[in-house]
Amino acid sequence: MNTLRLDGVPVTVFALSLLPLWLPVLLGEAATRGTRARVTLGVTVALVLASFAVNGPVAFGALAVGLTLQAFGAGTDSRLIRSTLLASATCTVTTALALVFAWPVIAFVASVLAVTLRVGVMPLHAGAVALGDRSPAAQTQQLGATLVLVLAHLRFTDHIGFAYDVAPMLVVLGAVATLVPGVIALVQPDLRGFYRTATAMHGGMILASLGAAGRGHEAAALMVVLTTAFAVGGLGLLIVALEARVGPVRFDRRGGRVQAFPRLAAGFALFAAAGVAMPGTSGFIADDLMLHALWGESVAATVMIILGAAALAVASLRAYSATFLGPAVASVAPDLNGRERAATTVLVVALLILGIVPGLLLTPADVFLNLSDAP
Amino acid sequence: MLIHTTLALAAALPLAAALVVGLRVLVDATRPSERWVFAVVETSLVLSLVATASVAAQWAGLIGDPLRGEVSFGDWLRLGDYYIPAIALVDAAAVALGTLGAMLTLLVARFSRTYLHKEPGFVRFFTLLALFAAGVQLVAYAGALDVMFAGWELIGISSALFIGYFHERDEPIRSSLRAFTTYRLCDAGFLMAMVSVHELVGTTRLAALQDAATLPAWEVEVIAGMLLLAAMGKSAMLPFSGWLPRAMEGPTPSSALFYGGISIHMGLFLMLRVAPLLAAAPIVEYIAVAVGLTTAFYATSVARTHSDAKGALAHATLAQVGLILAEIALGFTTLATVHLTCHALLRVFQYLRAPNTIHDAHRLGHAAIVHPHPSASPTPGRLLRYGAALHRLRLEDRLDGFIAPVLRLARALDAFDRRLRGAPRAESV
Repeated sequence: MNTLRLDGVPVTVFALSLLPLWLPVLLGEAATRGTRARVTLGVTVALVLASFAVNGPVAFGALAVGLTLQAFGAGTDSRLIRSTLLASATCTVTTALALVFAWPVIAFVASVLAVTLRVGVMPLHAGAVALGDRSPAAQTQQLGATLVLVLAHLRFTDHIGFAYDVAPMLVVLGAVATLVPGVIALVQPDLRGFYRTATAMHGGMILASLGAAGRGHEAAALMVVLTTAFAVGGLGLLIVALEARVGPVRFDRRGGRVQAFPRLAAGFALFAAAGVAMPGTSGFIADDLMLHALWGESVAATVMIILGAAALAVASLRAYSATFLGPAVASVAPDLNGRERAATTVLVVALLILGIVPGLLLTPADVFLNLSDAP
Repeated sequence: MLIHTTLALAAALPLAAALVVGLRVLVDATRPSERWVFAVVETSLVLSLVATASVAAQWAGLIGDPLRGEVSFGDWLRLGDYYIPAIALVDAAAVALGTLGAMLTLLVARFSRTYLHKEPGFVRFFTLLALFAAGVQLVAYAGALDVMFAGWELIGISSALFIGYFHERDEPIRSSLRAFTTYRLCDAGFLMAMVSVHELVGTTRLAALQDAATLPAWEVEVIAGMLLLAAMGKSAMLPFSGWLPRAMEGPTPSSALFYGGISIHMGLFLMLRVAPLLAAAPIVEYIAVAVGLTTAFYATSVARTHSDAKGALAHATLAQVGLILAEIALGFTTLATVHLTCHALLRVFQYLRAPNTIHDAHRLGHAAIVHPHPSASPTPGRLLRYGAALHRLRLEDRLDGFIAPVLRLARALDAFDRRLRGAPRAESV
């Protein structure tokens, strides 16, 4: 019996996951690049197995290996971060075992929990937030792996009556977890605070979309997680690049850096705009699909998500203004270098293609995910 | 086939220009020259104008049979029963706005080339202008609420960034944030209406909005109310007028295009588009008339006390916009379309002329025009009205009063979240 099969949708999602997974390695410091590349290579192999596996236990088993490798290779000695990532990996092991023993409810719950811990859904966001604080680049990498995790969830654990029944509850929880960080983002005193709340807010959206996926809206969930991986991941990479040049950025006075770093400012603006549903980017389609998916489950949750996204949009413009606008400040540090420009452009182009011709991925993905076998 | 090509080009060309310039800024290590940027953007705007003129000719029957109604491009996205229709609606209002938008944008682009020569933000200005032009064409010819919302958002984002154009000073940045906040909060109404129309009617096609009128009365009232909210934000109607005078911080050409010509009228265009829905929602109709007339009265009063040219012009514009909203709500849609078009043309001219008017007044020594006061001792009522107009009813203070509790709540939530994570307390900014 074949354990692996090359279908178009998993191949595409796997290829897309390579962007947030490998771009931080290519942009990292030369001293740590070798170690990081070896860990990422191991994670990539695990993700290949997870993406192309035709049954759930193999997929989640491979994911458990990959996520464990990521937990130890995140480049941080923080116990909180490591235990969060390991807890997420343990959840995937649980999912794999539950699928082997045909306990679909446990598989579903463990899988949702694994995603929740990784994307930092409030109130389980302490670990993911700490990772974003310590190393936005590692955060971007783990968002890449989360793409494959969500794909596995949508393929192997989502097609059960329990997922259908708990959809409204997950949607409401996700909506609250979207609105709260969206509002908190308005009062953040620094760039890291903005990034932290933006990550948590997108985590809430992912949870809500996973809830809606239980009622057949898998494509919406896939688009939401793709947008998060590229937009929030891109923001993370640019924050690393900016802080390497100017140090931590606070909002107590205008930064005035747009003259010195025009490309960095343009990339930041594009990622931030994609994260809050700018038309032409995948964020617009993700929001549109998700809101339609949520409306059927809970009108109140839909309103909360709309307001949360509006609050984050205002916070994004505030962060951009405070970081880049204002009286020009001279800098001896250069703007984005060639590799950074290439990485930014690749992510921006991916966001644009998915936003302008979303059917390229979503139409086959919708068919593929709806035809996936129940466990 | 011709109509498909021309409609697509009208919006796609400016969008492509914005993408080309934007990606070059991102990829190329050297800053693109003014000449190159202007050539790319101007070419796209000229071709877009030719395309819209061709659409207008086809609509009028000058090329083949008159073409009216929906033009389908298939689906932007289809997933099972759910779809986002890529559909255009060609009618008098669409042709009027599409042609007017393309013409005025090109005019302002030509004007701005000299006006902004050697400005540090030259490239940014023309990239945003192309983005705006694409947004206007999307809104004008949209045959579905989803497509219209995409254009609507492009206009909102470019508008906010234009207001903060002179970002070396603090005030334009604050004004930009204020305008963007108003837009996003009011756009929540558009989004909710769009989703609810899709769920209740089964499609977001504008031509199908007649079917929405058959829904239960309260549902129609709620949807129409949400769309009115979006229109009020975009067109700076009371109580959301506070951002308009602050928007004058942007460069004069963008003020002319946005707050004299096109953007300020977008809310009215939305109301024209959803007129069948509005006609089935009498309560919202009454509210729209009241809002329109109150805004007209307020803006007239403020315009008479304003001491700067662009601010007075902004309120004079707003007074007419209020009247047009009342016309639409009263069912005079043809009158409103004509009023809107003529008003946009006049105001763009006045805005573009504003710096010269000030210059002339200073250099040519025009005598100050002093209107003799009608009575030697003004009545308390007249003084009260004068004071209220001078302070713009303290609208911004009142709105800030609504926002302050939200920010207090945000700080409390942030403190709670930090305690939960064991993180240090934030120093407020």
